[in-house]
Amino acid sequence: MLGFLLRRLGDVIPTFFGVTILVFLMIHLIPSDPIQMMAGERGVDPARYAELQKEFGFDKPLVVQYFNYLGGVLQGDLGKSFVTKRPVIEEFTTLFPATIELSVMGILFAIIIGLPLGVIAAINRGKWLDHLTMSLSLTGYSMPIFWWALLLIMFFSTTLGWTPVSGRLSVFYYIEPTTGFMLIDTLLSGEKGAFTSALSHLILPTIALGTIPMAVIARMTRSSMLEVLGEEYIRVARAKGLTPMRVIMVHALRNALIPVITVIGLQVGVLFAGAILTETIFSWPGIGKWIVEALNRRDYPTIQGGILMIAFVVMGVNLFVDLMYGVINPRIRHKR
Amino acid sequence: MALLEVKNLTVEFGSEDKPFRAVDSVSYSVDRGEVLGIVGESGSGKSVSSLAIMGLIDFPGRVTADSLTFDGQDLLKMPAKKRRAITGKDIAMIFQDPMSALNPCFTVEAQIMEALKVHEGGNKKQRRERTLDLLNQVGIPDPKSRMTAYPHQLSGGMSQRIVIAMAIACQPRLLIADEPTTALDVTIQAQIIDLLLKLQDDSDMGLLLITHDLALVSEAANRIQVMYAGQLFESGPADSIFAAPRHPYTQALLEALPERSTGNDRLSTIPGVVPGQYDRPKGCLLAPRCRYANDHCIQDRPEVTDFNGRDVRCFYPLNDQGQPTGQTTGQTAGETV
Repeated sequence: MLGFLLRRLGDVIPTFFGVTILVFLMIHLIPSDPIQMMAGERGVDPARYAELQKEFGFDKPLVVQYFNYLGGVLQGDLGKSFVTKRPVIEEFTTLFPATIELSVMGILFAIIIGLPLGVIAAINRGKWLDHLTMSLSLTGYSMPIFWWALLLIMFFSTTLGWTPVSGRLSVFYYIEPTTGFMLIDTLLSGEKGAFTSALSHLILPTIALGTIPMAVIARMTRSSMLEVLGEEYIRVARAKGLTPMRVIMVHALRNALIPVITVIGLQVGVLFAGAILTETIFSWPGIGKWIVEALNRRDYPTIQGGILMIAFVVMGVNLFVDLMYGVINPRIRHKR
Repeated sequence: MALLEVKNLTVEFGSEDKPFRAVDSVSYSVDRGEVLGIVGESGSGKSVSSLAIMGLIDFPGRVTADSLTFDGQDLLKMPAKKRRAITGKDIAMIFQDPMSALNPCFTVEAQIMEALKVHEGGNKKQRRERTLDLLNQVGIPDPKSRMTAYPHQLSGGMSQRIVIAMAIACQPRLLIADEPTTALDVTIQAQIIDLLLKLQDDSDMGLLLITHDLALVSEAANRIQVMYAGQLFESGPADSIFAAPRHPYTQALLEALPERSTGNDRLSTIPGVVPGQYDRPKGCLLAPRCRYANDHCIQDRPEVTDFNGRDVRCFYPLNDQGQPTGQTTGQTAGETV
């Protein structure tokens, strides 16, 4: 198991360098000069321009700049925001819990709804239940997030008034952030109604964000289940006199989960991409909204830092998924 | 009363109005302590009929029978729960390919203990001890370390022993072995058959041995049932079938055995293949491949009749000299062999 872990870690290292190079080059590939951008419309005089170039290290060769940047990244220094002048990493860590909270809820929603849907579709293959769940998931998959989110807001918030339209918490509450996760913080604060408020703010963003992964998981689970249900060991399990439920939930699902888990890992990337839209629409104070704002202001260090951190998180999650893969599938664990 | 009584078992697939009969009104019985061999080429309905006994034929397959009784209880009429209590406990089955019969995600121990847990209960320690006993019984070397092995770490022969251990875990009274040696190499085949016969003998089990290997049943079985394209063609005591086959198909099968070929430099074969869903002959299902077939055989389908104490499905059963009886002249239509 340790060897497996180390091998997987080894795979991550080249990806790490690849991501840093891409993110670093981004600033040089975009056809605008960061110093000019900072100076704004009034412009900057050549002497000051040279000074600033020196200050930011833009006067050095590209390779040297990259290694300076890499050195900073390795020490947790992602530069300072052009706009707020605060370290990017600091802003990131303040906002990140909000995005995690939303993403975790989104993926939980996707798994909790998607897995059973896939299983139900598979065991009712070809019947109306199968067609229903699969056309629902196809609809969910085809629905653009911004459109779906607006529909949800229009229906549940505006028309029915069941859920709040935006934000993380009702304005009547003020919760001092301790963990940054609103659900936990409101619970810790002990303030009455705060937790319910936080939860109700989460519902629509969660659905909007989780729908596409849910559809993907449902479809993947279905096809994977169908494949496994045709295996001989399923017949053997049934020949043991096990209940159909046990055959499906234990013998089939365990095997069918292997490809599904990979897909769940891949969906985390999709989830962050979706978070950018979802957070913007729901005014959710997370990384997604932060990056969109930084983009509008051409705040390069923030964009770079944000993208880099998201890339790291996605890599981390996929590493974790690979390890899970080993836990579930003994053939992977024992491979030399 | 026989342990297992099958009367006119039929398994159909496909649409209701144009069904394909994979098994066509087959009847047989197995007694305790008896070995019944079911022989036939691939596609003759051997496996499907055994799956029907186990209750493993799924929609859209349809199983019907005049009666399908085990120990006096009709398997087809009992509720699913009661039937599950019998399958895996009193009736167990061993499948063809041991490499795919074990769930790759669970250890050997977990898979054997599961059967014990469902049918016999007991605590974990007892089940583990019993599993160890079983592994010893089926001749697994170093059973203790094999307990925690995963299927991918086992060889084919080893896997089949595990599958057997799993099947006999609850001391079944009837064991169905569906081509248990097909996927194994020859030396292992003999070991597995010896093991099965020993287990059968020790516990007085009924054994239903399904195979296309005639040589194998000749040694193992008390009685033999020859199947072709879903139909019963001939049945009777093993030694008498080998001494004097009554059905031309049985005769042809025996002639195709290397052990029986004498003097000929080429082994005799049966030309053609078993008819499938779309090329079923109108008359006798064997007619296109039978060396004795005449117009009568091509036009009409024979029923099973009693001939010298043996059930034979043929208009012209063979006599002791291996010649068809009752045929008026030598008007053979299909001169195929």
